[in-house]
Amino acid sequence: MKRINIFYLTMIFLVLGLAGCKHEKETFDGPSLVDRFGPFRVVTDLEVSQPTVDFEGGETVFFTAQFNKNVEWVLEITGSVSGSVKIIEGFSNVLDASNATWDGGTTELPLFRNEVCNVTLMIPEEAEFMGTTTVETLSGKQYPGSIFTAFEEELSGVDVFVGNFEFELVAGIRTGNAAEGESYYIMEGTDNVVPNFFVGLVDFKATLTGNNYFQFPTTVPEDLFFNCFMLSDAGPHGLGIIDFWVDRNDNGTFEEGPDQNFRVPADYNLATWEGWRQISHPMSETGITQEDLEKVVAIRLLLISDMNAQPNPPLQVDFGIDYMTFTAGGPLEL
Amino acid sequence: MKNIVTKILLVLSVLLWTSAGLWAQDGGSEATVADDDKSKIRFNGLGRTLMSQTSIGGDVLKADTNTIGRLTDGEFLLDLAINATPNKTSEVQAIVRLRNEFGGFFGAGMSVEVRELWARGIIADFIKYRVGDMDLAMSPYTLFSPDEEGFVNEPAIFQPLKEVIDYEQFYTKDNTRRLQGGKLDFGFNFGTILEDLEVSSFIARIRGTDFFTVPNRLIAGGELNLSTVTFSDSLGTKADIGINLIHTFDDLQSGNAVTGIRNTVATVDYDLTIMDKGNMALNLSGESGRSNIARAERVTDADGKEENVMLSEEDDTFMDVGLTFKLKKQKLTVSASFVDVGPDFFSTGAQSKRVEFGANKTYYNRVGVDRNLRQMSTFDLSRDRSLYTFRTADRLMAYDPRYSNTLPYGDATPNRQGLKFGVNYGSDNDKVAARVNGAFLSEIRGQGTFELKDFTLIKAATDINIHKFANWKNELRLTLGVQLETTKRGGVEIEEVDLSSTLLDVGLEFELFSKFDILLGAKLFSSEGRDYIPIRENFNDIQDFPAPYIADDQETLLGVGIKYEFKKDIYMTLQYNSFNSELGSDNPNNYDFQQLFVLYNMKF
Repeated sequence: MKRINIFYLTMIFLVLGLAGCKHEKETFDGPSLVDRFGPFRVVTDLEVSQPTVDFEGGETVFFTAQFNKNVEWVLEITGSVSGSVKIIEGFSNVLDASNATWDGGTTELPLFRNEVCNVTLMIPEEAEFMGTTTVETLSGKQYPGSIFTAFEEELSGVDVFVGNFEFELVAGIRTGNAAEGESYYIMEGTDNVVPNFFVGLVDFKATLTGNNYFQFPTTVPEDLFFNCFMLSDAGPHGLGIIDFWVDRNDNGTFEEGPDQNFRVPADYNLATWEGWRQISHPMSETGITQEDLEKVVAIRLLLISDMNAQPNPPLQVDFGIDYMTFTAGGPLEL
Repeated sequence: MKNIVTKILLVLSVLLWTSAGLWAQDGGSEATVADDDKSKIRFNGLGRTLMSQTSIGGDVLKADTNTIGRLTDGEFLLDLAINATPNKTSEVQAIVRLRNEFGGFFGAGMSVEVRELWARGIIADFIKYRVGDMDLAMSPYTLFSPDEEGFVNEPAIFQPLKEVIDYEQFYTKDNTRRLQGGKLDFGFNFGTILEDLEVSSFIARIRGTDFFTVPNRLIAGGELNLSTVTFSDSLGTKADIGINLIHTFDDLQSGNAVTGIRNTVATVDYDLTIMDKGNMALNLSGESGRSNIARAERVTDADGKEENVMLSEEDDTFMDVGLTFKLKKQKLTVSASFVDVGPDFFSTGAQSKRVEFGANKTYYNRVGVDRNLRQMSTFDLSRDRSLYTFRTADRLMAYDPRYSNTLPYGDATPNRQGLKFGVNYGSDNDKVAARVNGAFLSEIRGQGTFELKDFTLIKAATDINIHKFANWKNELRLTLGVQLETTKRGGVEIEEVDLSSTLLDVGLEFELFSKFDILLGAKLFSSEGRDYIPIRENFNDIQDFPAPYIADDQETLLGVGIKYEFKKDIYMTLQYNSFNSELGSDNPNNYDFQQLFVLYNMKF
């Protein structure tokens, strides 16, 4: 009798003791079949949360729409005056504040101005669908960082030195087609008079900011990022160079002889893009030290013509620059 | 999972330490031990000659001027097994294969290779060992080669070509897997409660390194089986309990690979005889366990010391428990069981399939104007050895829902829950032998939807020995087999699944005169409906569903032939097979085959 009890206990243990089967069932495997193969239908049309938005005042705007299934969608906001474009993408069946909020930033330069923006919602898989609406920006987004200059006002001759040594450089503020605001700085010319690659240079001194030295948000070279917007017409023979000058003789003024320059190793090849692009790099790339960053007295722009590749007579080379700013912790995020 | 493995090893150690008596296993059916100390060398093996002519026709060849209408191929093959027993506790065997393709002359198309090599014996009259090639099976959830699809009760006429596949791929009736490594077995005798205990362990390499990105893959495991004494003489109650553990892993010290898989499965299986009295027997049997799949990475710490860290892991469980009732005199067995195999349960040793869907077919792999892949059919499944494999895969292999959708990975198919049943009647020597197996299962977790698929599978087979009804000396046997399978899922229209398939096997063997058989057979297959076949990535996660799979398939394989058996295991058969595949009406990919072949097979 004792033996048979052991047997029954064994049986109960094996059947009940090993019977616990818990499985993950709260979701399903793979992509949703409805999303993958179901017909697309719009449940609610594209709408904007408010007709106007004051980004400078901290406002944001969001867009709403609803579909019957999850889809890849693209929301494109285009400035009617600036031509700036902001693209927001997602995969969902709902557009709302969580995934379709615009804080005034941009995807493609220039930056947005105070303007009416056209908003288009597209579904790549549903080529026939397009939702549209508009929103008016009353002010632009406030970007973080220390703006050195946005070239919106005429620069003092004391603070800017134009090195037109070979009488072939045109440099100055130009209005219209700016990346930010109304104007930007342009350098253009040909290396025709003295064919030595050098077209000209411009020195922007720290005194532009009212101080002898630049006041950076941080002096840690790895954390300090230089940012600017650079304009190119994709001309094939131009190079742009940006130097940062450190006051080596501690006299508080820029003197090329005793002072030392730091440069990003790679030049900006102006043939590689057309229009505005953002330039950002940590100051550590120039080799500058934390101590040096406390004594930066000038930024120099150089325009170079690649005479090895130029035809004869050489073609004009040029670039524009706008919104020179320094940020801490990372590059300027548009 | 690690705790379970540790506990099992602990239990094993305690049992070994507390065992009352020891006795050596003589190896049972495995070890062949010489009767005396004299060394012996034996020669045996297999010889085979196969020549076939295969022609293709049908709509798929319209406007196709590239496809050759008729193929002639064949082989002459000799597997010479040299078996030596240098003493009464040691045995070695090598099988050398000499093969020449049909049409090969003076070395062209000829190959010489070692097909099998092993040694085995007994150490100290206690431990049985084996090194080299070996065929191993544990339980259906740990190490097991599940039966392939497309067969219910294969007509005798189609069996010779199937036997060629089985032989080439080392398939056995015990569902073993061919491995290469080492194995140790030993056992113990006990006095009370426990009657005996057997321990078996092995390690094998299932993939070699390329010394760059592919590391060695090894599989190691063991089982501990214990049997109790009879608890109640009046009822005959006793228990057989087993603990199984198997671990598949990549050796990250081999080659330059830094990542690899870890797959561990630990199970407990049992067969409890509740009653075994007179004509009746009732057993409760089952198996439960847990699997773990992980991806390991070899990292070097700041001190330069290397260690493996787990990048990601997934666990799941399974349970299979059922009752079996036997009426011995009536030769009737009825069984029913409940199964619950988790969606994330993964056992590479048990779920790897025999059929490698997607492999290149021997006969007309690409046909038609656009050279598209020809859809696989029962013609290919019944004879094309290149579609079969004995490898273990590190993820769930592709399957064809037309041929098997309920249990494409055998009993260990993951994401299944429900009832299985079986009825067996008679034996091969009776006038009628019949069996019916089935399953009513559903998914545990949906695929692409929260809706769950329901599966119904019925397999029935019977062998009718007509000559025994008529008291004829010469044999006349009719064999029938049918498989019905449906898959359904509700939900919105996109989610709906409704796929059904039917496979009918009919065979007739007529012994015209002694050892000379006339063979007739047919395989009729149809499949209709739609389903979604997932594409899987790492960890068997579903990456995507391609377009819905639409089946509208009618296949007919007919065969007529003769077979003469010179003596046991030596025969020759001449056959003509005709196959027709209709993939929907007016489908330009419809095709048909005609095949004439002669096969001479000799085991000696």
